[in-house]
Amino acid sequence: MNEDSFYVRQFLTGEKDGFEILVKKYQDRVLNIVYSIIRQDRESEDIMQEAFLKVYRNLRYFKERSKFSTWLYRIVVNTVYDFLRKRRNFISNEDILEMRAATCEGPRDTLLTREKEAMIQEALLGIPLKFRAALVLKDIEGLSYIEISEVLRCSIGTVESRIFRARQFLKEGLLKLTGELR
Amino acid sequence: MKECIKVSKLLSRYLDKEASCADNLLIEAHLDKCLSCKKELLELSRIKELVLGKERKTLPQDYLVCRLRQNIADERCIIKQGLSWLSGIGDFSRKIIPVPVAVIVISLVFMILTSKQQLTEYSLEEHVLSGAQTTTETALGVMLGVLN
Repeated sequence: MNEDSFYVRQFLTGEKDGFEILVKKYQDRVLNIVYSIIRQDRESEDIMQEAFLKVYRNLRYFKERSKFSTWLYRIVVNTVYDFLRKRRNFISNEDILEMRAATCEGPRDTLLTREKEAMIQEALLGIPLKFRAALVLKDIEGLSYIEISEVLRCSIGTVESRIFRARQFLKEGLLKLTGELR
Repeated sequence: MKECIKVSKLLSRYLDKEASCADNLLIEAHLDKCLSCKKELLELSRIKELVLGKERKTLPQDYLVCRLRQNIADERCIIKQGLSWLSGIGDFSRKIIPVPVAVIVISLVFMILTSKQQLTEYSLEEHVLSGAQTTTETALGVMLGVLN
């Protein structure tokens, strides 16, 4: 029995600590996945919270057919999709201005880092959602193709082609933004 | 050229160390002789590095746990309030609600029976008007709804 299963069982026997330990363990990973997909601070935290609430309400239905993390990421990705479905025009002009303003703060070295960050994030946002989700799970969270196929409920071949296409989009996006791959 | 197309499709998988042994051999042999695919691989690995090197966000350890605790407590409170409201209705219903419920049920039964009688009367009338031979047996059949 792995560590996550232990805490899941602990929670199911009535000890709330099990759930809180899992939250602490996964909160940063989930936040980075959500943020990389939607790039909005406050909304990312709300989506993350909503996802963990879903986990809390449904943990008793988790049958351990997959790893806890796979089940969790599936909930996270579905919560992100729901959010984006409700807010189709999620990249408003205000958001872009806000992000660009953020790059103009701070000393020069951090400015360059922030500028680079913003550029990568902007290029990521130019990737169609289903390709972006696969790429984020691979490169941000480091999941294997099999795990991604379980999270996204698609074949390994589909995962492969989505990641391949995502990288092509990212390359084009970065080339447009910078003129070269720095 | 055909090999380039095949290899370029496998490069992403190769970069992620997800390619099979046979594919690895094919890709590496091809990369040794093809500069354009080698360049493509370098670009892909640069892109991967950029995403991997992206700044990671972190939250204070108890930040989310506190938010969740608050949320779960609020949810429980709402459920409790909802249940207490329902139990209030339950006390009330024990005394008052059976009377209107009984009236509604009786009215419904009466309406169903009346409409059925009207329907059979109409059907019998229609049967007679249709000019078909009417015997006691067919009349009873039509009234009971056995025949049309």
